[in-house]
Amino acid sequence: METEPVIGERWFVPAALVAGAICGTGVVLGAWWLTFLAGVALGVLTRARVAIPAGSVAGLLGWGLPLAWEQWRYGIGPAAHTLASIMGITQGGAVGPVALTCLVGLLLGLTGAWLGVAARSVLFSGQSDVAIGGLRFR
Amino acid sequence: MNNPILRVINLVAAVAAAGAMLYVAFIGAAPLPALGPAFNPSTGAWTMAADSAGLGNQTLHLAGLQEPVRIMLEHDGTAHVVALSDHDLFLAVGYLHARFRLFQMDLLRRTGEGRLSEVVGKAALDNDRFELQLGLLRTAQLEWSQAGATSRMALTAYAQGVNDRIDEAKRLHQLPAMFILLGYEPQPWTPIDTAIVKGDMTQTLNFTDTPLVMRLLAKTLGVDLTSKWFPVLPPNPQSPYDPGPYPSAHAPAAVTSMATITDAQTASDLALYQRLASLPPGSIATGGASNNWAVAAAKSTSGGALLAGDPHLHLTLPAIWFQLTEDSPGYHTSGVSIPGTPVVLIGHNQHIAWSLTDAQNQQTFFYDEQEDAAHPGQYFWQGGWHAYKTVSYDIPVLHGPTEHLTVKLSAHGPVISQRGLTTSVWWSGNLPSQDLDVVLRIGQASDFKAFSDALRDWHAPTHNFVYADDKGNIGLISAGYYPQVAHGQPWLPMPGTGEDDVTGTVPYADIPQIYDPPGNIVWSANQRQVGADYPYYIGTASNFFDPGYRANEIRRVLSEDRQFAATDMMALQTDTRDFLASEITPLLVQALSTDQLTTAEQKARDILTNWDYRMEVDSTAASVWWTFWQAYLSQTFDPWWRAQRVKVNKQEVIDTLGQDLEAWTLGDTSNAAYTPPGAARQTANDVMRKAFHAAFATLNAELGPDPGSWTWGTIHTRTLQNLAQISALDYGPRSDRGDAYTPLAAGDFPSTHGPSWRMVVDWGTHTFNAIYPGGQSENPASAWYVDRVDTWWNGLYAPMLSADKAASSSGGATWRLNP
Repeated sequence: METEPVIGERWFVPAALVAGAICGTGVVLGAWWLTFLAGVALGVLTRARVAIPAGSVAGLLGWGLPLAWEQWRYGIGPAAHTLASIMGITQGGAVGPVALTCLVGLLLGLTGAWLGVAARSVLFSGQSDVAIGGLRFR
Repeated sequence: MNNPILRVINLVAAVAAAGAMLYVAFIGAAPLPALGPAFNPSTGAWTMAADSAGLGNQTLHLAGLQEPVRIMLEHDGTAHVVALSDHDLFLAVGYLHARFRLFQMDLLRRTGEGRLSEVVGKAALDNDRFELQLGLLRTAQLEWSQAGATSRMALTAYAQGVNDRIDEAKRLHQLPAMFILLGYEPQPWTPIDTAIVKGDMTQTLNFTDTPLVMRLLAKTLGVDLTSKWFPVLPPNPQSPYDPGPYPSAHAPAAVTSMATITDAQTASDLALYQRLASLPPGSIATGGASNNWAVAAAKSTSGGALLAGDPHLHLTLPAIWFQLTEDSPGYHTSGVSIPGTPVVLIGHNQHIAWSLTDAQNQQTFFYDEQEDAAHPGQYFWQGGWHAYKTVSYDIPVLHGPTEHLTVKLSAHGPVISQRGLTTSVWWSGNLPSQDLDVVLRIGQASDFKAFSDALRDWHAPTHNFVYADDKGNIGLISAGYYPQVAHGQPWLPMPGTGEDDVTGTVPYADIPQIYDPPGNIVWSANQRQVGADYPYYIGTASNFFDPGYRANEIRRVLSEDRQFAATDMMALQTDTRDFLASEITPLLVQALSTDQLTTAEQKARDILTNWDYRMEVDSTAASVWWTFWQAYLSQTFDPWWRAQRVKVNKQEVIDTLGQDLEAWTLGDTSNAAYTPPGAARQTANDVMRKAFHAAFATLNAELGPDPGSWTWGTIHTRTLQNLAQISALDYGPRSDRGDAYTPLAAGDFPSTHGPSWRMVVDWGTHTFNAIYPGGQSENPASAWYVDRVDTWWNGLYAPMLSADKAASSSGGATWRLNP
């Protein structure tokens, strides 16, 4: 019997925003790994078709917005060029480190969500009614 | 997904993907660092962006301060520290250095302490082993234990300031990006770390391998040729600044009495020579290239003494220098400091100015320790067997097992090779030298006596300290140890049995020095400071004095019958006239006058005929000359190197060979060296003609058939190298003027060494100007990373402002540091 979380597609945007806020807070505080945990939570609490894109979007927002904030405050062009130089990126220049940073956030959220979804589907299979915290699963 | 097997497969795939992602995020995957902390936009390497917007006014609280301190930062980051106590001054300087150069400081201490492998892996292991064998750490610990009260105060306060910044940087996620990318945090700074940084510089400037080179030359080139080609006294005309008269003592022996060299010694020498050659640049001193001079008031248009100094070092980004002024009740100095040390090393105070060049005398002596199987762990010395002392170290290695190292110490110093023979090294840099205390006293000196008294305690590295004061006086003292051996041949590795030990040094009163000479000028450019009748042994022509062309050119200009202004000093610092070229080129042109030349070769010759001997970027003659000189050296010496299978890299002794070639060309044109084994007899003119044809062919092949397009800037460039060896963060290569022999030194292709700081002082007008290549910040994203390079490149200067003037200058910022 498939377990089905109560949070469905209509909660996609709020779920992504809440998770993104958690990711962003973690990033600002240095707890960057919260992005992964937020993705796991999304995977456990939402349908796969919600969790995977929402986790990805949350990771992207959680890392992209603080980077945009740095750009607005200081301008990240010289830093991006420096990072590209250190990493040996000869093509694309400053775009590389920016893309890599956003990709790290995205992949942390995505893999976390995937793991959450997969774990839920295995751990709670066959149970008709599962409660985690205040949420009930059928 | 109702199939349980598919669910499990999905979970396994998710775990694998998540595991891989977390691995590269937490651990990293070479060459990528741990991606999570490194690319976190708020606390990772991106925080370097904060410097790109400049630094405004700030109020900071520093632990350990006794009173408020004010730091004014000029528009280019030049810092002016004003403190109400000496303690607070040094604390604030520590904070300032760490704020702008923390990674550089950590790299410097790790290099000297043999702890690079801990952060970069096993690639640095042999360097770490060598440093721990050589003993910078042991010497630094000894220096700290013997430091006087003033030095202890300065070092302790400085370390506190550095640690205040480390704590602040950790708290605010502002550690330099390189720490984040390499995945480690700096340990607290200690006074011993400062002594290590000083030791790094001593090693770079004074630790040489020339006795090994000399013995390898003697074995392979032959004792006779080695004696002739590598003499104690320079074979070419030079310009010693201290012409005597000298005290009477024993005269130096000629390098003619070399002992029989065994195959075992040669094998050991070769192994050690190759090991030293494999170490990173800067581990071994291979030559010097710095200038300084002073002009007395009587020869100055301003009526006050003039001083110019440009130490030539490896040009790195960030630079070795950090510019600042230090103002406190005890100190009023302005100039440059080395990050990691709390003092102005080169600069001026209210009454005197000073600058340094390397003195180049021999401070490194090698000993063959006598051992036998019946006395394991012992060496024979002064008639008896003695056990080696041992010191053990653990060297942590990134991603590898910790290396355990035991260093053996004989009476002469550390054992640095046990391949065949056991070789130990006696090095002045291993003797505690309270250089910090000396520099502090120089900073407080107001006349030559106080300056000279302070330098009495300077031991290593030996430096030529030039001096000029606000009373119009000038002087030069080549301060430091000049080790003397009781017996033997110090230019070779010596027997370790005791008879040839270092027994002392030249007395301070007898070391090269001069004060207010009648000619009203003093100068040094790493040349041998004294003439042929100086009674003490201070090193051979190849160990490792400069060939003297820069010194000759500087003396030539300063000896002109006219008075000089500060602008003349600046012009001389950026002078590109090649003294050697001025001697040899007319003789080459004369030799070519009877030669068969093609039309294009005639054009190349004519270019030389009309040349002013300046190595300018647009000069075609410069290219012809330099290529010719290299070909002339090769045509003369390569056949000998091949015939004798010489084990020494010719480039390592090329300056000495160049001196020989210069001397023969000028006055011994039929020297036997021109005729290699088995060849028909040749003279200087014959070899010069061949070399010219070879040079022409080389340039024709590389730059095309038209000599008019062979500009020097096409083949000669300069690069400022990133200290972390990230070539994409280098500046250049960019076409540049000068060569190895011009006052504006720019040897090699590309040139990576040169004037690391140019300073000109005019006490008549009380104007102080200076520049260094690079910028105050080590952060490549900072506006202060390379902002001074163009000014330096174009031979321009910036005024060295006082703190008061800096406070009223525009575009800067003020930091208030409170307890």
